[in-house]
Amino acid sequence: MAPPTIVRKRKAITRDISEISDVESEAEFGDGLLEGILSQSEESEQDSAEESEEEDEDEDEDEDEEDDVGDVQDLSGLDSDEIPSEEDESEIQFQKSTLGKSNGTKAERSILTTTLPTAEDEDKPNYTVTTDANGGVRYVYDEIDPVYDSDDSDAPLTTNTIGNIPLSFYESYPHIGYDINGKKIMRPAKGEALDALLDSIDIPKGWTGLTDPTTGKPLNLSQEELEILRRIQTNELPEDGYDPYPATIEYFTGFEEIMPLSAAPEPKRRFLPSKHEAKRVMKIVRAIREGRILPYMPLEEREEDKEEQTHYDIWRDEQPRPDHIMNIPAPKALPPGYDLSYNPPPEYLPTKAEKQTWESTDPEDREKEYLPTTYDALRKVPGYDKFVKERFERSLDLYLAPRVRKNRLNIDPASLLPKLPRPEELKPFPTACSTLFRGHEGRVRSLALDPSGTWLASGGDDGTVRIWEASTGRQLWSSKVGDDEAVDVVRWRPGREAVILSAAAGDDIYLIVPPIQDPETEKKSQDVLDAGFGYATNATQTLTASGIRKEPVARWARPGSRLEEEGVLLKVSVRSTVKVISWHRRGDFFSTVSPTAQRSAVAIHTLSKHLTQIPFRRLPGIPQAVQFHPSRPLFFVATQRTIRSYDLQKQELVKIIQPGARWISSFDVHPGGDNLIVGSYDRRLLWHDLDLSARPYKTLRFHSKAIRAVKFHKGGFPLFADASDDGSLQIFHGKVVGDMMENATIVPVKVLKGHKVRSALGVMDVDWHPKEPWCASAGADGTCRMWM
Amino acid sequence: MDGQSVQSGPRQVQVVFTTNFPDIELPEGKRQLLVPTDVRRYQLSQILNSESMLDTPAPIPFDFLVNGTFLRTTIDEYLTAHGLSSETTLSLQYVRSLIPPLYEASFEHDDWVSCVDVLSENSSARSWSSSGLVPGSERILSGSYDGLLRVWNKSGQVIATSSSAGAGGHTASIKSARYISSTKVASAGMDRTIRVWKYTESEDHFSGQLKPALELYGHKGYIHSIDVHGPSNLILSASQDDKIGIWTSAVSSAPEAPSSLLPSALTSKRRKLSTSTSTPQRGPLSLISAHTAPVQAVIFNPLDPTVAYSCGQDHTIRTFDLVTSRNVDTRTTSHPLFSIAALPGISTQLIAAGTSARHITLLDPRVSARTTQVMTLRGHTNLVSSIAPDPSSSYGLVSGSHDGTCRIWDLRSTRQGTKEEGGGVVGDAVYVIEREWTKGKKAVGGEGVKVFGVNWDVELGIVSAGEDKRVQINRGRGITEPGNA
Repeated sequence: MAPPTIVRKRKAITRDISEISDVESEAEFGDGLLEGILSQSEESEQDSAEESEEEDEDEDEDEDEEDDVGDVQDLSGLDSDEIPSEEDESEIQFQKSTLGKSNGTKAERSILTTTLPTAEDEDKPNYTVTTDANGGVRYVYDEIDPVYDSDDSDAPLTTNTIGNIPLSFYESYPHIGYDINGKKIMRPAKGEALDALLDSIDIPKGWTGLTDPTTGKPLNLSQEELEILRRIQTNELPEDGYDPYPATIEYFTGFEEIMPLSAAPEPKRRFLPSKHEAKRVMKIVRAIREGRILPYMPLEEREEDKEEQTHYDIWRDEQPRPDHIMNIPAPKALPPGYDLSYNPPPEYLPTKAEKQTWESTDPEDREKEYLPTTYDALRKVPGYDKFVKERFERSLDLYLAPRVRKNRLNIDPASLLPKLPRPEELKPFPTACSTLFRGHEGRVRSLALDPSGTWLASGGDDGTVRIWEASTGRQLWSSKVGDDEAVDVVRWRPGREAVILSAAAGDDIYLIVPPIQDPETEKKSQDVLDAGFGYATNATQTLTASGIRKEPVARWARPGSRLEEEGVLLKVSVRSTVKVISWHRRGDFFSTVSPTAQRSAVAIHTLSKHLTQIPFRRLPGIPQAVQFHPSRPLFFVATQRTIRSYDLQKQELVKIIQPGARWISSFDVHPGGDNLIVGSYDRRLLWHDLDLSARPYKTLRFHSKAIRAVKFHKGGFPLFADASDDGSLQIFHGKVVGDMMENATIVPVKVLKGHKVRSALGVMDVDWHPKEPWCASAGADGTCRMWM
Repeated sequence: MDGQSVQSGPRQVQVVFTTNFPDIELPEGKRQLLVPTDVRRYQLSQILNSESMLDTPAPIPFDFLVNGTFLRTTIDEYLTAHGLSSETTLSLQYVRSLIPPLYEASFEHDDWVSCVDVLSENSSARSWSSSGLVPGSERILSGSYDGLLRVWNKSGQVIATSSSAGAGGHTASIKSARYISSTKVASAGMDRTIRVWKYTESEDHFSGQLKPALELYGHKGYIHSIDVHGPSNLILSASQDDKIGIWTSAVSSAPEAPSSLLPSALTSKRRKLSTSTSTPQRGPLSLISAHTAPVQAVIFNPLDPTVAYSCGQDHTIRTFDLVTSRNVDTRTTSHPLFSIAALPGISTQLIAAGTSARHITLLDPRVSARTTQVMTLRGHTNLVSSIAPDPSSSYGLVSGSHDGTCRIWDLRSTRQGTKEEGGGVVGDAVYVIEREWTKGKKAVGGEGVKVFGVNWDVELGIVSAGEDKRVQINRGRGITEPGNA
């Protein structure tokens, strides 16, 4: 970095300073002052181009010193090229003053004054007397021999002597005037075109845009002149070194000095009360006693004074004027209306309810200050009871109120809120509890509405699976599948051609054909379940034969005659507790999640073959929930923090979604397939647009406790619901627009409260009616509720 | 206000008394009267009953209609509220006063009661039966969730109970039951069958028998409601499987039952129990699949038995021509409909449909009428499960809801709907009948109080059945049509 800068800076020097001075200065500086050169060149460049300053500072080790040196160099460079750079500051000042005059005769005079004393000193006059053109005496002085200590020996000052002639007269000549000796002052060499351009772009410090008439060079202001200008501008004294606020020197103090200025003792008068003062006080006292001075003004006089106070009516000749902040128009009282009458018409009289509301509201909030009252005669009208109070308040107003009318910013805070449609416009959505399903002992952990919306299935801590008539709350069927285990999840098989309920209790998944349907459907449903029996044996056999797995991952079998009679036809036993069941839309596959199982946590079951497969060898975390995509062969797996979507056909990972939640409890896929909602135990509900990003599009945090379940409405209403441990459900309107450019609108529309919180658990599960905007919820208080 | 009335004395207003009933009409000269403005309904009624006016032997309580709405305040307040001057002549139409539906009795059951029907002198079943009815032998038929039909007499005694599932009865809950005639009963329910019963009564009218006469198979879902027409032996059914069935109760003319739906089709041991009797099994005359969601209710048009109206969860009210089994007209509303009733209406026949959105929609069923909604009756707090018209007036109806109340409505007492209600003409309930045992307590989600069926009979009054396992009877005379009190 350093070498090229030096080269550049050398060039800069040659440009600014003429050759002679260059040589001189080099001779002066000698070789030992290379550092100074560096800094000087830097400074001179700073004049022309300030951008290199930063680099310079990086290079230099000793910044302070460099600055000091730089200042001097700077000044010399500015004043003129001819002046050698090593000159004193005082001399430069002097030169400046002569420069400022720019007058040849004056310069001459100054030389005269300096030379005259020397003439007196010596015997031989240094002039010859001649006659001038008018016949007067003219002294022609000898050439001064500048001795070493002469004053101006060091100032080979070239002064242009052309006088007040504009410099433009010399434009066609190579010179710009004559010096005191009558020699031509040559036009200084102009910089190259590029330098001129650079000068015009980067305006150097002190640039004025003027040309010095005496030298023909650009007239730039020196650092000192700039400083003077700055001081004048900031209202300081331009003189340098003037301190307007010198520190006080305390010559006399209250402190007792150890070495006092005077040794005189304290005078006696300091301790004696003043006789003179006592005299004056007595004089006043006597005057008061004699009544010449009255301590208070006499009463009449004071009253007179008051009357003399002049009052001004500022609105005496009020002219209508345009509205202005300083114009306060005379207040106008409204003409009295009927209701102000002492006997108003009856329609103006307040009703009992109006009267009551008027009385109950705060006096400040009342719309009218009075209540229309009726008296049949004017003589019955009582005195005005608020007279004193009102006068007092008026005075207070006049005393305290500002006299300038305030133009208040009248912004309705509601208008600053983002525009959301009102919930009433987004109807229908569930608003009230319509049916209560009571019967479970202990918590209801899961519930599901069947694809036709007729039945509600629920499962809970008491190990029973129950089916209810959704519209009336009648329990139709019940079976105790888990002996001591709770039923963790119940889900209906999608599709209306067969009615099959799946339920998981402990390690077992039960497939149930409840006896609540007509014989045809029941037969069909049974066939669906029984179709896989042949396959199942085959599959296990092949597996054992090839030796891949000794034991099948799941055992498909009949659950035993008691359950079989109740309609529970199939039992799938896996190795650990199943917490989630999720059906594929065609109803042939379903996936289960058993978070405690290490490798086999996620299993996909094929109903028609009674086959259980473990799709993932290794999982990135503990899986929480799974979902099939509603239309494409995609499979979503939620672990505690992320949701991954896999392509089942290509068998590859498609996307990783990071909702940013600490622990995902559940999620649901929008029936359109492009959006996800995620509920988390850290109280957040997150909306994901799968096309948009891996981060949530919207985070909704309205619950005070963990969110247990989230569900989209699958039957055409843009609704979704979440269930929380705080005992409430929240219904949201979430409209997904087909247009890619438009984002989904999400509006919270309703909080459904009713479930009681039992041991910090509120609502455990939520499900939507397949067609209507009704939802059902399962509570820890042992009830299910239908909301319409 | 008070001071004024005391000071100035009562003001007076000119009124004209009119009535639509000729028997209580005032003579021509007495119709105009100057009355004080601070009188209420009661004083006006006293004035009318006084010797100088009607001179009735026993005082008749009257109600007064001003411009089609009941006078509920003093005349003075009415004038103030409507901005009328006291100089105007007020036209007061007087009618016999409404009597609140007082509680009369409750009949307790073993399980939830889903439906009631009444056999009395004025009921339609009586008019269809050949034999006359012994006076005072009104019967109440109730269908219960335990699968049994019960016939009650007026004093709350069970006269007959249908046979149990093993002996040819319903194998699941009954949802709907109807008298076809005084000796014939039809019922249907969650076992997807309609059963026709033969009802006989002993001589002393204190015991009777319900014998299964016919089993009708064909529906694949629960039957929510049936309606019967005696002279043509037709039964209509509304089912969960989105279909409407037309059946006949005559064994000879009914077609064969579809074998796949018979209980014998099921191999399960459990179901074989019910096939021990030899009741004839028949199928439907026709099944109409017009609805796209479960059908909740179906009725015959009381004026024309070849026309049926149905409503369902697909938000529609459909009109059917039963001769051709064709869907003639479809009206779509904005909510799922759970109950339907045909009202004589004020000028034309009206269809009242109870919705899941807690109100009752009134529609003009004529094809030519293009207005979707005539009126909305609001007030229920849960879905409206049942509607019955007032048998003695063309203005009244009663509705039963899952909120545990029956509400009585008068089509004349209406107001303009507010913006939240979506405008239109809105009616409010005249009376609210709660379940007697709740004593005004509120039940969440209608738990234990839901009303499933309601019926209004001239003699017996308002009979309602519900989840409280009771049939409740409230006095029903003269509630909306005082002329018959």
